[in-house]
Amino acid sequence: MAKKPKNEDVSLDMTPMIDVVFQLIIFFVVTLKMSDDKDTTIKLEDGKYGITLTQDELPPSQLTIDVARNGRVSLSNMTLTDQMLAQKVKERKARYGADFPCMIRADYRTKHRDVARVMNICAACGVWKLSFVAVQEAKGSMSRHAGKK
Amino acid sequence: MARKPQEDPKAEMTPMIDVVFQLMIFFIVTIKQEDIFSKLNANRPAPNASSSESVENDTQIKIDIGPGGMVFNGRGVSLRELDRNIKKLSATSKKATVLVRCTLDSPHMYLVQALDTCNKYGMYNLSIFSM
Repeated sequence: MAKKPKNEDVSLDMTPMIDVVFQLIIFFVVTLKMSDDKDTTIKLEDGKYGITLTQDELPPSQLTIDVARNGRVSLSNMTLTDQMLAQKVKERKARYGADFPCMIRADYRTKHRDVARVMNICAACGVWKLSFVAVQEAKGSMSRHAGKK
Repeated sequence: MARKPQEDPKAEMTPMIDVVFQLMIFFIVTIKQEDIFSKLNANRPAPNASSSESVENDTQIKIDIGPGGMVFNGRGVSLRELDRNIKKLSATSKKATVLVRCTLDSPHMYLVQALDTCNKYGMYNLSIFSM
């Protein structure tokens, strides 16, 4: 790969440029993956027997509501008030019907009070079929058991 | 970064360092694996409506969830005991409705555990109430 720099060729040595370009490509691939719009403070309870969620196959109609430990409700890392959440749920329902996948990602320490609030908002908008996100197989950092074996 | 040709006997380090960096970045990236998630489906009946659906099945299983754990048949149970009970009940009917009733100050983990246990034995008729 390393060209001898001794030749009197007019063409430039491409190797460092290619290296830099590779670095940049890898950098962008990595950062794109990281900018996953999730509340990363949420640690999920295990749920080995639920339906496997494949992140790539989620339909665009899905709505994932994050509920943090302190009860903060957010969508794609944007904190929402109850009214705003109701608005969002209604929008989805108007567009896709009441059967769109509505998922709640709540921290395992979240009080049921906050989860119930979210569920009540959804139910009041006519969306009763809800799902809770859990960790089927812990490999990353989202499981409450992450880091301890 | 491009070095002038030199008659130095020591080897050119730049390409090696480049390759090592590439390898390092490659391993850092691949080592970071993603969790595999699952979803647990449940119904949330409207706050103050008597749901007609749950009346159809006369066999209802009730799991109560409090701040300290789960209560089944009026007795505090561990996850393993709940597992055993649900297993027994699922043998008779998988269509029975399971009502999970949570107190407001219970942590979310018990609800997920209860739903997961029901999923394990194929009971998919789950409703969540809050008290």
